[in-house]
Amino acid sequence: MSNRVVITGMGIISALGHCPETILRSFKNDQVCFRRSRHDPEIVISPVCGFDVKAYTGRFKNLRYLNPGFQFALAAAVAAVENAGIDKACLDLAGLFAGVGPNLDLEKELVAIKNGQLDDSALNALWMLRFLPNTGASAISQVLGIHGENLTIATACSASLQAIGQAYRKIKHGYLDVAMAGGGDSRLSSGGILAYRKAQALCMVNGTPDTASRPFDESRNGFVPGEGGAFFVLENIAHARQRGAHIYAEICGYSATMDGYAMTAPRPDGKFARLAIQNVLREANILPEQIDYVSAHGTGTQLNDQVEADVIADVFGGRTPYVIGLKSWIGHVSAACGAVELGLNLVLLGNELLPAIRNLKHPCRSDVAFVNKTMAFAAEHVLIENFGFGGQNAALVIRKWKS
Amino acid sequence: MDIFKEIRQILVELLDVDEKEITTDTYLVRDLCAESIDFLELAVSLNNRFAIEINDDDLFLRNLRLYIQNIPDSQDRLAGLTGRFPFLSTKRIAEILADLDQGPVLKVKDLIAYIEWQTKSKKAA
Repeated sequence: MSNRVVITGMGIISALGHCPETILRSFKNDQVCFRRSRHDPEIVISPVCGFDVKAYTGRFKNLRYLNPGFQFALAAAVAAVENAGIDKACLDLAGLFAGVGPNLDLEKELVAIKNGQLDDSALNALWMLRFLPNTGASAISQVLGIHGENLTIATACSASLQAIGQAYRKIKHGYLDVAMAGGGDSRLSSGGILAYRKAQALCMVNGTPDTASRPFDESRNGFVPGEGGAFFVLENIAHARQRGAHIYAEICGYSATMDGYAMTAPRPDGKFARLAIQNVLREANILPEQIDYVSAHGTGTQLNDQVEADVIADVFGGRTPYVIGLKSWIGHVSAACGAVELGLNLVLLGNELLPAIRNLKHPCRSDVAFVNKTMAFAAEHVLIENFGFGGQNAALVIRKWKS
Repeated sequence: MDIFKEIRQILVELLDVDEKEITTDTYLVRDLCAESIDFLELAVSLNNRFAIEINDDDLFLRNLRLYIQNIPDSQDRLAGLTGRFPFLSTKRIAEILADLDQGPVLKVKDLIAYIEWQTKSKKAA
């Protein structure tokens, strides 16, 4: 059994805005939100501004258990349902697939330790819920009344793309007609900054914050942490048509592989990242030359971008499709980057816009068609790539919907 | 220290309700929809705020109905309960006994009575 799977609703909470219109305007006006971290002025971050989860949920006492990543996910899921105009009854047995990251807010969450004794007086009774991976999904299920097959996926920076891939597969193979999929994450707390700074993964620059995130540029020296969330309503095409849903795009294929090489560094020859891309093209049943552009993972670290550029050059041969790097606009949204980047790509597809990779002056490879100037561009097929710590590789192909 | 205001603030934050919804006569379960997880949080918050020992079963009148069942027929229910819940006035216990059929009886004023009683016991000690 094989069903076609379409995206009929989206909710995006990003540093470029919280709705498609604002996000499009930010792209067109080159309006980004990079600033120095108050925890560590040597580090640049890309925060989400003006976000209040209660604007989406109303009163909801269990917000007390939601870390910032869960809050972004919940708000995005509520926004996606509203955007899809889907009935509560259709959500009853819908699936729920969430990509999540760890809560690294040590400063706020951890108790004082004196002589090995924990001072727990300031902790909630159920403080552990802010650390349990499925707390976000539980909250989404409570607020939206979703009761079907579900998974919480915590595969580092490919987590939310894998969550979307899993939802796609469940509908494709007939287990579900409707599924919500996406993720939310934030690592901008002092603990989050400390973790990635110690790992020497973060960008260190003296110049203006806007120039810090520079994927695929020779001078790149680390990623800029961001935050946000995005969720989507995925439907069996027959289900979507029956209810007269607006369709944004079709998901044509998904693939995931693992490097089995190192804890953080990508495998230098990119063998399994390449396999993920080859597999997704096969499932989508399209040739490499049918991909109109690649939305690259493009973190801005030396290793990731070199391997990714090499893999793209290899898979697509002498003439690569256009390649964009959305982390130059919103920073690295960690576990939620795949969902947020899918959301931004849907906005770009719908408005026939291809944004420049910001700060790209000296590309790390000359034979890859990196986009260095924002331009009008009508695309049909988009390949989205995400790679994560642990050697996680994920790829998704979407096709713009033409009614 | 106004114990009512302190408790109200804790309830506002925990249950995400409006201050206006809470008086001393507000029922925790019937009016504020408090659930077991909320009572866990409330006990931790009250303990933290007032620095007193909290016995959850007493504070939340948890086994009230069981005690009532176990009071021998020969004994007066009012007298039986007064011994068991010394922080509640006889008047309040009579009120509770008349209210049992309407649902969970715990009110904000019972929390206040418990805190006052425990604070006094602590001082006396």
